[in-house]
Amino acid sequence: MQQPMQEAKSPESINANTLFASIRMLLLLHLACGLGLALAFLVAVDFRSLTLIQNPAQTLFTVWAADALIVIPVFSQFRLDPDKCSYVKAIVRGLMGLPAGALVNALGAIVLGAPVGIQHFKKTVHWSLLMSVFTFVPAASVFGSSWTDWHRIFAHSKFSLVQMFRPMRPIDFIICLPAHGAIIGAWFGAWPMPLDWERPWQEWPICVTYGAILGYLIGVIASFGFVVYYNRQHHAKRD
Amino acid sequence: MGVSEERIWSGRRWAFAAFLGIMVVHSLAILLFTRGFLLTRTELSQYSECNDVMESPCFPPARDRNTNGSCWSKPVVGRLVIIVLDALRFDFVAPSTFFAEKKPWMDRLQVMHDLAARNRSSTRIFKAIADPPTTSLQRLKGLTTGGLPTFIDVGNSFGAPAILEDNLIHQLGQSGKRVVMMGDDTWVQLFPDHFATSYPFPSFNVKDLDTVDNGCIANLFPALDKEDWDVLIAHFLGVDHAGHIFGVDSTPMIEKLEQYNEVIEKVVGALERQSGPGDLHENTMLLVMGDHGQTLNGDHGGGTAEEVETAIFALTTKKPNTLLAGAESSSCQLDVHGRQVCTSSIQQLDFAATVSALLGLPFPFGSIGKVNSELYSLAGGTWNQEESITGDDGNPSEVQSWMLNYVNALCINSWQVKKYIDVYSSLSLIGFSDKDLLHVSELYSRAQELWSITSRNISGAFVSPSLVRSQLDAYSMFLESVAALARSNWTEFNLKIMGIGFCIMLSSLYLNAFLIRRLDKLFGLQSFFSDYLQNFLGVNLACIVILIRAWSFLSNSFILEEGRVASFLLATTAILQLRHAIMKKMMLLEALVLCLLVPFLRISIELSQLKQAVNSLFLKVDSSNMLGIVNDSELWMYVAEVLPMVALIIVAYLLYKSITSCSSQGILKYVIAGTLFNYMLILLNWASESSLLSPNLSLSLIKGNLIPQVIYASGLLQLSLLVIGQLIDRGRTSNLEQSTIVKALGLISAWSSTTILLSGKQGPLAFLALLIGGWCLIRLMALERNTKNDSSGSSLSYALPVTQWSLLAVCMFFSTGHWCAFDGLRYAAAFIGFDEFNLIRQAILLTIDTFGFSHILPIFGLPLVVRGYLLNQSKQVYSIRICQVYLMYGLITAIATTFTMLCVTIQRRHLMVWGLFAPKFVFDVVGLLLGDLLIFLSALYYTT
Repeated sequence: MQQPMQEAKSPESINANTLFASIRMLLLLHLACGLGLALAFLVAVDFRSLTLIQNPAQTLFTVWAADALIVIPVFSQFRLDPDKCSYVKAIVRGLMGLPAGALVNALGAIVLGAPVGIQHFKKTVHWSLLMSVFTFVPAASVFGSSWTDWHRIFAHSKFSLVQMFRPMRPIDFIICLPAHGAIIGAWFGAWPMPLDWERPWQEWPICVTYGAILGYLIGVIASFGFVVYYNRQHHAKRD
Repeated sequence: MGVSEERIWSGRRWAFAAFLGIMVVHSLAILLFTRGFLLTRTELSQYSECNDVMESPCFPPARDRNTNGSCWSKPVVGRLVIIVLDALRFDFVAPSTFFAEKKPWMDRLQVMHDLAARNRSSTRIFKAIADPPTTSLQRLKGLTTGGLPTFIDVGNSFGAPAILEDNLIHQLGQSGKRVVMMGDDTWVQLFPDHFATSYPFPSFNVKDLDTVDNGCIANLFPALDKEDWDVLIAHFLGVDHAGHIFGVDSTPMIEKLEQYNEVIEKVVGALERQSGPGDLHENTMLLVMGDHGQTLNGDHGGGTAEEVETAIFALTTKKPNTLLAGAESSSCQLDVHGRQVCTSSIQQLDFAATVSALLGLPFPFGSIGKVNSELYSLAGGTWNQEESITGDDGNPSEVQSWMLNYVNALCINSWQVKKYIDVYSSLSLIGFSDKDLLHVSELYSRAQELWSITSRNISGAFVSPSLVRSQLDAYSMFLESVAALARSNWTEFNLKIMGIGFCIMLSSLYLNAFLIRRLDKLFGLQSFFSDYLQNFLGVNLACIVILIRAWSFLSNSFILEEGRVASFLLATTAILQLRHAIMKKMMLLEALVLCLLVPFLRISIELSQLKQAVNSLFLKVDSSNMLGIVNDSELWMYVAEVLPMVALIIVAYLLYKSITSCSSQGILKYVIAGTLFNYMLILLNWASESSLLSPNLSLSLIKGNLIPQVIYASGLLQLSLLVIGQLIDRGRTSNLEQSTIVKALGLISAWSSTTILLSGKQGPLAFLALLIGGWCLIRLMALERNTKNDSSGSSLSYALPVTQWSLLAVCMFFSTGHWCAFDGLRYAAAFIGFDEFNLIRQAILLTIDTFGFSHILPIFGLPLVVRGYLLNQSKQVYSIRICQVYLMYGLITAIATTFTMLCVTIQRRHLMVWGLFAPKFVFDVVGLLLGDLLIFLSALYYTT
């Protein structure tokens, strides 16, 4: 397999050839993201006959476990520094990123208003693990502990379009957009919770999970679009 | 900066004009809107006269019977004893078997169950449904006038103005009945010169459970043996006060109920002793009733089932011959002792009409109630339709004569209501809609057509029961549809005035924004757009947050959860700032602290929601959402005692540090020393009240009201010191920023002791949270700084911090245990340090308690946001900045209020409009006006 991100530190100097060659891989990656989630739900609903509304904790557990099984190996393929870091090490990085990301997500959720009672503990844990699979795990697999890369992905300075996209590589899109999509989706997903419709899905963390998944999928589609666009531009430049 | 240098810009004069202008515009808008939204019903000055009844198509009582002064219908009760037990919940009266679960406060009024089970024909328990607003004054007004007092009257509840409408007490006086009143002095304020004798006792000291009740008891029993009255009213307040102070599930409440049980037993005994033929109480009716219910916290005022459902226990000494076997609306259950107890249901609206009919009085002119058949039947013998048809049991002729009596009463009742509706429609500016009026008139004319047949039959010999029944149905239908019409239509929103008020409010928003921009121009800002781009993130975030919060008021659920919505939004901005801080690699600690502070605020918001949810129909909070900290273990009690004290000591330490760090500020030192002294007094006060810490300390000397009064006085002294300092110091300070910090610290510390004292144990914690939050926000301002030299930047960089400041203030309101409803007011706080009621003094204390942490302290502390990076700037710039920040804060509050106005307009026919939207509106409006005033004062205080 070809490694796409050889000269990672200076994005402008990416070998367009390498990039173009890897674009098919990146598209496959997208497919894996989307299908992985679908598969995870399939496992949860069909094989273990769980639904999110009736037993949220077990369903979330199944989903994140199944999704992690797909996401970690796939993203580990795209690790940033394949010379220094073996495939196994990347997988271990991803696995270590899982609880760390869960902790950050759980704290964020509690800051925003997730219930802190003991009987919600399990749900919160599994939900944040799922969020971690959406947000932290891919980045952990790919970047490891490279602070600059994390900083670039999750805290880029401006929301101006120019600065937002110029220093990005395709793999950045694939990590950044779905992760932000999941977080923003979860944020919107919390909105219906206080309404008095008395639907079972208004419970924590069901609608937040729905929001996160929806946001994640939108992010995946958007990043897919960006990768195609980016590829075409570079293709044109090469010509 | 160049442009403004030549101009002479007097900050204080400008601030005076601008903020006063905004305040005036806001007041005008709110005044107009409120006039349209919270309308009073038009009170008619007509009175029912004895002779009026000749105009009716019904049978007036024969003239020769008219010796007793009664004229509209045949009196069926000689004397009436009304015992009002304030805030009597229905489950105090009904047997516990009527409810899903037996609670400690149930089954305490055993004498009622006993009597109701023994004499089912002469005794009955009613569930009485009150109409909101369920405050005592409104209910007394509703009970006596038979109308529907409107929401706006709530404001008069403390002032208790005399009732000018026609009412029961007036009619009693007109008919020459002598009324004796004892107990709650609200009655005397409502009816200043209607009573033959009155023994009023002060009602406003909520802490006092016994004065009113003991006064009642002392006067009640001697009066029962006297003949010098026809109607006796005794109003007991103990249960209401016990609820306010201790809650329903408390020992004082149960003791009160057991005391009442004894009192009622003795009253019934006294009545029955003299109930023989020719005796004093031969034909006396006893009504033991509540004016409204109360929630488990002892609050009332709203429209929830617990507040609305109260009880009437009725007993007549004249025993009817026949047993009344189950009326239509009654439900029977075996009580805990296996006795069968039945309860029926009655609307409080019907009380005035029914009592008037019982006593044979003219019905109050504005009464729209219906004579209640079951209450009427208790006195007038028996009424059982089945028996009257079959006639195989009891005395058919007695039944029949009673029936005819009742039909006649209903006829008079319908005629009076129709007359009132007609007069009202012609006199009131906005009457009922034509369609509704037509419907009601149709029902009435149909009933009258039937009556022409029935009356002919009555004049003849025989009336068929089925005819009577259909006549009753026709009248009932008319009366019920009038009541429904009145209930749904009484709040006549004046959309035109509301619209004008709303438009003025909108234009005030524009004015506000315009003034901010104008100051920017004064400042010499070149390009608005480039500045906007510079602060793109902050400004947009601020706008989004404000708009989300504003739109959320459209939904009743979001209004209920307003505190959590605010904390959610605050947390969102805090998380984004944390991200920003990580990006800039600065102020990480502050951002993190702010993020961690929000969950604590939210937990205390949820705790206060738990308190609210106990009695709210609307709000359902899963108590299990909380950590399991509501247990009563020794450790927890100890923590609850010690934690506030620790927090207070920390606050004191911080203040102490602040004076030592500030270089030589004369007045500040005295002010802060005074505050520290006050804190010590607060600690002493708590220690003296505490059971855990000082079981053997003899602090009884300083117990009582001395400490709070000293704290209030010293707070006032501090404030006046600050004002004097301001006057002396005018314009002499060289370093404006330093002096502003000093002034702000002084002002906040001067207010803090009073606010903390009023807030009770949560006070220091809330104050500490406010200080930490404020500190974080001030420090995080640095993140918004884009360039080294801020003087070229516009006010837009302040948008986010000021928004966060206002969100923090909103969170503080909810996390200090308040919510936007009248049962959320903590009346007990108004009596800290004082035992007697004084309207102005207590209102000020209540305002400080309610708005202290959410309006007073945040607004006085707001100039601190400006600090930090304006080191080398002229006084003018600094003053302009302060004005801008205040304008912005005012704008944010005004936007929220504008949307509340919009939402109450849209939702004005919503089910919860009086329960939820109107209180929210009132709180927002009061908050806005108070905020305007505080902003005005502090702008004068801070600018030069």
